[in-house]
Amino acid sequence: MGMRNRTVSSDSSDSTSTSSGGMDGGGMGGMGHACYIYTAINNPPALDPNPDVEYYRSIDMGIPLTMDDGKTINMWGFADSAGGGMGGMGGGSATFPSAPMRVRQGQVVQTHFSVSMMMAHTIHHHGIEPEYRSDGVGHISWDVSGQQYTYQWRPAHAGTYFYHCHTNTVLHAEMGMYGALIVDPPDGPGRVFEDGPSYDLEAIWAVDEIDSSWHDLDWAAGTCGGDVGLNELNPDYFVITGVDGAQSALTAPGIAVTMNRNDRLLVRYICAGYMPQTINFGGLTAEVVSSDGRPLPESYTTGSIDAVSAERYDCIIQPSSRGVYTVEIDIRDWITGDVLGTARTRITVN
Amino acid sequence: MKRRDFLKASTAGLAGSLVGGVGLLSWTPRAHASTIEKTFYITDGMVTQGDGKDIYFRGYSSNSSGLNVPGEHLIVQQGDQVEITIHNTLGSSHSFVIDGISDETVNSGRISGGSSTTVSFTADNVGTYVYYDNRNAPYNRIAGLHGGIAVMPVNSDDELYPGSPTFVQQQFWIFNQTDPDWNDAVRNGDTPDSNFTPRYFTLNGLSGRPPGAPGSGDPAIDSMHDPRSALHGHVGDRTLVRMINVGLAQHAVHTHGNHMEWLTSDGDIRPVWEKDIVPLNGNNGIADIIFPFDTPPDSWPPADVGTYPMHLHDEMTQTAGGGLYMFGSLTDIFFE
Repeated sequence: MGMRNRTVSSDSSDSTSTSSGGMDGGGMGGMGHACYIYTAINNPPALDPNPDVEYYRSIDMGIPLTMDDGKTINMWGFADSAGGGMGGMGGGSATFPSAPMRVRQGQVVQTHFSVSMMMAHTIHHHGIEPEYRSDGVGHISWDVSGQQYTYQWRPAHAGTYFYHCHTNTVLHAEMGMYGALIVDPPDGPGRVFEDGPSYDLEAIWAVDEIDSSWHDLDWAAGTCGGDVGLNELNPDYFVITGVDGAQSALTAPGIAVTMNRNDRLLVRYICAGYMPQTINFGGLTAEVVSSDGRPLPESYTTGSIDAVSAERYDCIIQPSSRGVYTVEIDIRDWITGDVLGTARTRITVN
Repeated sequence: MKRRDFLKASTAGLAGSLVGGVGLLSWTPRAHASTIEKTFYITDGMVTQGDGKDIYFRGYSSNSSGLNVPGEHLIVQQGDQVEITIHNTLGSSHSFVIDGISDETVNSGRISGGSSTTVSFTADNVGTYVYYDNRNAPYNRIAGLHGGIAVMPVNSDDELYPGSPTFVQQQFWIFNQTDPDWNDAVRNGDTPDSNFTPRYFTLNGLSGRPPGAPGSGDPAIDSMHDPRSALHGHVGDRTLVRMINVGLAQHAVHTHGNHMEWLTSDGDIRPVWEKDIVPLNGNNGIADIIFPFDTPPDSWPPADVGTYPMHLHDEMTQTAGGGLYMFGSLTDIFFE
């Protein structure tokens, strides 16, 4: 197949030029500020009339995130718009990270996605490998703007994934447009994958860095050219599943874990930032059983894991001793390897 | 000839006919070792980036009037005697080094401006290697003096190492990052005195041009359509990709469409993991993967035809000059 019959969308008279001018920024912008955004939907795939699971997502470009130092940063995300009412306008109220998706291996899933005409976004279900028109990559299929589009997929492998925007991705994923995507085996939660290890409780740790200087940019910043600094990420905050890892994540419900001795904790660790990370389990031993949605040929035990952007590791921790264990994730500079910051949470074993 | 057929021919079908000549140094399985000769010319020039800026580079070029960044990919066979002749057309001193490929040391030593030398060695060890200039490290290497060389097992046309998972075609992905201030310093004979702040990100020397951009679809400009970089295959056309990172930043290589089979990391054979992200270290980090060209497993209904991207997930690499998303280090994967 090729990429013929494609439309480059822009309000400007010359949609294919690479303007050397900078963005004038401000507000939510408009399509006039965007280049290399592809909004023409040609030959969308037929949809299964009887999907097993349907998700509805729209856009929220104003999610306040208050950090431990009192500062508030604006995040973007996908609102769960199930129940309707949003139509094609793409509005909604979202959290950071966006609401998780959780399905079972073998289910036919449809993700209905609405975006207003003032901007463009996609949903890429990362690690899920669907037909190309359901992959959410603008330059290969299309970006979604001013309408609802449905992605269809049927996960073949249980494991830990995430979904994120793939339009001007460098900016949109950094702005927080992602959420966890869990594929359970056919029998549901309780095992990591079919005939795989069991677990009693789980935690999803999506560890990310934030460069607050990027957070006033327009959705299409840089797409028409000009230096908006997207080659340089200088993070000043480090979060675990949307909670400041400086202090709050140490005790945040749903992130910090309280468990009994000899119970089996499944940690679904997602390297959600762009910089390399090292997660250290604070003296606990983790059995790494799968990565990127695939069982390892042989599991292994370790006290720490090095990860790079978008890797996922599924880890079983079965502590035999009571105690309070501080889990630390160092976020490292991609060039020097220096630790830029550390996010922390806790496992309390009773 | 269709591109796919061309690719197959270029990696496997041209026998030894070009040995000692110009053009791609090709390889086909042989029962006996051969002597492989190749000539490089160290040259320099300007390369226009995605934002229109011209940036200075040096390369191991295939002729004295051109500029190849990276140098041509080379494939030889274990046991071959390899003789590389380097003519340095520049005024500055350079070298030609390969680590680990031979039980001997492969290092030309100083090649002064205007002089020539021949480096000879036996390709003792199978695998993927970098040839590069280790003088004034890492500046000359990052400024373009690098390339990839592979050693195939004896009498095998489908293995990375004896007994490895098999493939039907192979290619190289060489990643680099460019800080214009550093390249300017190299040009002026200075040592860069600033922190490395890359503004351009390349795959086999090129970067992306999204549809509609000037140069989009031109295989000499657009890494999405460069036959050295783009993957083309039908279901079952398992493709070995030898990934090398000559820059300084650690990368996260991400394929859509299929997970990769991750075979090696920095020369070490690994237990084979299926990954949609493979880490690739900086400073001549190497990872070998097989892209299996299986039917995309989560397609519904199952679909064997379509296009997907390979891109780096350290997304700063997807830009040029601080913006221009997708004018960075990526290519396309064509299920045909």
